[in-house]
Amino acid sequence: MFSGLTNRRTLGFCIVFFILLLFLPLFLPRFYIYLLALIFVTGLLATSLNLVLGFGGMYQFHHAVFYGVGAYAFALFSKKTGLSPWLGYILAPAIAALVGMVMGLITVRLSKLYFGMLQLSLGSLVWAIVFRWYSFTGGDDGIHGISVPDMISSTTGSYYFTLIVTTVCLILMYMIVNSPFGRTFQGIRDNPERTEAVGVDVKRHQLAGLVIASAFAGVAGSLFATVEECAFPDLLFWTLSLELIIMCLLGGWFIFMGPMLGSAIIVILRTFVGIYTEYWTLILGIVLMLLILFLPEGVLGYFQEKFSKSKNAALVEN
Amino acid sequence: MEFASNITIAAIFQQVLVGLSRTTILFIVASGLSLVLGVLRIPNVAHGSLYMIGAFLAYTIATLFGGGTAGFWLALIIAPLGVALISFIAERGLFCHLYEREHLMLLLFTFSFTLVFGDLVKLVWGSDYRSLSAPVFMQGSFSIFDLPFPRYNLFLLVIGPLVALGLWFLTNKTKIGKIARAAAVDREMVGAVGINVSRVFAAVFVIGCFLAGLGGALVAPTQNITQGMDHAIIIEAFLIVIIGGLGNMWGALLGALIFGLTDSMGILLWPQFAIVFPYIAVIIVLLFRPKGLLKSTW
Amino acid sequence: MKKLSWITVCFAVVLAVLLAGVPANAAKTIKVGIVDCYSGPASTYTNDVRDAFKLAVDKINADGGVLGRKIEFTTRDSKFKVDIGLSAAKELIMRENVDILMGTINSSLALAISQLAKKEKIPFLVTFSKSAKITGAKGHRYVFSFTENSAMAGKAGAAGLAKKPYTKYWIAGDDYEYGHAIADGVWNNLKKMKPGVKLLGQSWWKVGEPDFTPYITAILAAKPDAVIIATGGRDCVPFLKAAKTTGFNEKVPFYMHTATELSTLKPLGLNAPEGVIGTSNYFFYYPETKENRAFVDKFKAAYNRYPAVGAVYGFMAADFIKKAYEKAGKINTEKFINALEGLTVSTPVGEVTMRAYDHQAMLPMFMGTTKKAKGYDFLIATDIVIIPGKEVMPSIKEIKKARGK
Repeated sequence: MFSGLTNRRTLGFCIVFFILLLFLPLFLPRFYIYLLALIFVTGLLATSLNLVLGFGGMYQFHHAVFYGVGAYAFALFSKKTGLSPWLGYILAPAIAALVGMVMGLITVRLSKLYFGMLQLSLGSLVWAIVFRWYSFTGGDDGIHGISVPDMISSTTGSYYFTLIVTTVCLILMYMIVNSPFGRTFQGIRDNPERTEAVGVDVKRHQLAGLVIASAFAGVAGSLFATVEECAFPDLLFWTLSLELIIMCLLGGWFIFMGPMLGSAIIVILRTFVGIYTEYWTLILGIVLMLLILFLPEGVLGYFQEKFSKSKNAALVEN
Repeated sequence: MEFASNITIAAIFQQVLVGLSRTTILFIVASGLSLVLGVLRIPNVAHGSLYMIGAFLAYTIATLFGGGTAGFWLALIIAPLGVALISFIAERGLFCHLYEREHLMLLLFTFSFTLVFGDLVKLVWGSDYRSLSAPVFMQGSFSIFDLPFPRYNLFLLVIGPLVALGLWFLTNKTKIGKIARAAAVDREMVGAVGINVSRVFAAVFVIGCFLAGLGGALVAPTQNITQGMDHAIIIEAFLIVIIGGLGNMWGALLGALIFGLTDSMGILLWPQFAIVFPYIAVIIVLLFRPKGLLKSTW
Repeated sequence: MKKLSWITVCFAVVLAVLLAGVPANAAKTIKVGIVDCYSGPASTYTNDVRDAFKLAVDKINADGGVLGRKIEFTTRDSKFKVDIGLSAAKELIMRENVDILMGTINSSLALAISQLAKKEKIPFLVTFSKSAKITGAKGHRYVFSFTENSAMAGKAGAAGLAKKPYTKYWIAGDDYEYGHAIADGVWNNLKKMKPGVKLLGQSWWKVGEPDFTPYITAILAAKPDAVIIATGGRDCVPFLKAAKTTGFNEKVPFYMHTATELSTLKPLGLNAPEGVIGTSNYFFYYPETKENRAFVDKFKAAYNRYPAVGAVYGFMAADFIKKAYEKAGKINTEKFINALEGLTVSTPVGEVTMRAYDHQAMLPMFMGTTKKAKGYDFLIATDIVIIPGKEVMPSIKEIKKARGK
């Protein structure tokens, strides 16, 4: 897909972009810094979902569970143990991956829609437990005032922290997608029977994909807990999972950065449309409807297609 | 846990009856969902919204006719028809262009309807709670083993089998039902024989949505009619369809029974965690029968 | 490469939009930001808070404002979601630069915003959340409550029930924070006030329970003298419906905190059960004072409906804001807080004082019994007993204990 040259240029471009983001807090008002941090967190979450959804072709209908589990793991760790909160950032993805593995072991045998529905019901079970277990999770009130390391508790501090962690996670995920494992994974999406015939253990690959995606969702959860300093059962509710799928769709789920763009659009729209009207869901519904009717490849996908067409045309002319 | 001391034969019997009347509502809603899923292959998330609209419409119609017995019966007939009309417009206007899309796209498309309907209900009916009364002869309760059992629940127990019978008749004895069943198995084949599949699909979609509206109208007298009813029912309905076997109407009945009864028995046995019982039932069923209990049309 | 350049373009556009959206700072007003749930079942309560607040603010502004400045307010819909509400609160603080935050009915969100308010040093006036933690265990300098909470409801319920002849009780309620808090509050206080009471058992149902019949029959089987129902919000209506259908209210008297509230009784019309004991901060028909009648008339003229309990919270909050700034004599947050502590304001329910120690408004509670009445097409509360604010407030000792001091 990429020639060596464009690959190098892409890299250079990313570095410039990253440096730009590093300097933003110097001149951007505080609220926008917070909003960007929120976009990074949501984008990381959507990208992790897209690992299984877009690149694995698996109907993961309840990805938010791992996000919530990550946030709760981080919150409970710093609340109950009194150890350094930094350790929580390691614990959160580990617990999320563990939950992902247990759920995956049960669900991965099923295909497509059945897989998705079982994920949904298992996820709802986890939600119900978090919602009900007052003595441990704080029940429907959630956990507030999580102690975050001082260094990263300010708006700017949490911005830098989420920026760096998100960037590292994106690089890791990009490497995974382009690794031999990632290519087999995409092969399973495109043609599971053939991949199986070649001698690949499809189920094991899918399970591994689920666990990896869960771990990154757990990281996103711990970042959310850092930015907002609280955790609550809404983070594991199924409607959030569907919103994540919308983000992937909006940005384009065959493109690595698509979900990132999709979540940026959703978060920004939600924040600014919400200022003017109570009917944000109505607007989101109509946007989604139009999107499916006219732009099924997502925003990024649409432009990419346009470009490759014009490029091809140029090649023919030459 | 104090509840455990109250488990008597009478209590269990009554609990079963309550569970069965809950089953009726769940079955009516889930069978509509299953029909659409089985024949059209659309996982219709907006089904719950139609159920909510059915309840609100029933309230409006009953109030319009003075809230008496006649108003109730009219509401029970007109509200589902109104929902069917809405779904007819949606199907002819939008869904019929999308049948060839992936399931995930269809699911998201119906989700967009959920979002739109949710806010439309808020626009039309506002935020106050609404309540609809059953006709006078259905108010109050019977005494069964000295325990009160609401008359309206008995009415539901009568309606449930009637709807099941009607659906069985529709799918097995009518031409459209037979075509729909054939189309569920092989769409191209039915089209090749020269039958207008699109029209059959429209009919099935409208019937499915009619059932959602009927469920909403039937539940209205027992519940608080408010925004948010849609979210509460849709996951349950989907799980019922899944454990029953996608597209299998008897499966929907079986699934609704499992759901209704595990829930009501859970209340009796372990009220603190009654909320998780149906989910556990689903997980157990899918562990042993990954494609649902009865044969799926998929 | 190409797609990345598109990302830049998109980001650049987004940033441009963001920066263009920074509001010009008009420093001549007092800005109040309200975050509350205006979608879903809870909005039946929150709309009254907002509408009454607007009514009061319009009056204040028409009279020349506060210290020469007008009060300006803006609302954000939280959709009962903590994440949306919290980021809206941050937007109000950081982008709109509000002087005061107000809201919300969702306790989890109220606690989250309270935490934020403490960090940002912005006063947060809670107008509907019933969690006792807000001014109790998690209270701090920047949070104020203008509504009764579960601890107060518990005390009020116990005070009312202690006067009745019942000894054998059953407790049932919503199986979440609010339900348990109300039940514990009533029961612990009742035990103290009347040591002879006995608890026969309890049952808990999930929020949104579709059928209450089985619970009711289980309770009836135990033959208690009276039942404490700790349910709130949208479950009140179906529970009262089930009580009427099964004849529960005729067999056993029961107490339900918000049973007599307008939002609960109005939808049920004349089909609500009679004889249910309930408590509330406010009825539009009680207290029968000049102030209350004037308030009801004004509200009805503006919105063509009777004010429910939320309206008093909103109306009162506006008056408190005005009086506190006037007492402070300056638009300054710290001075505003100092002035608000211990401030007394006359409201439709009489004089209400903001207790200085825990920032909890000392609202009176009205206990009444549901009954059909002439002139209304819904049931109203009768035989109303006033339980004064002083009696329902948790003692400062209890607050200190909850805060771990």
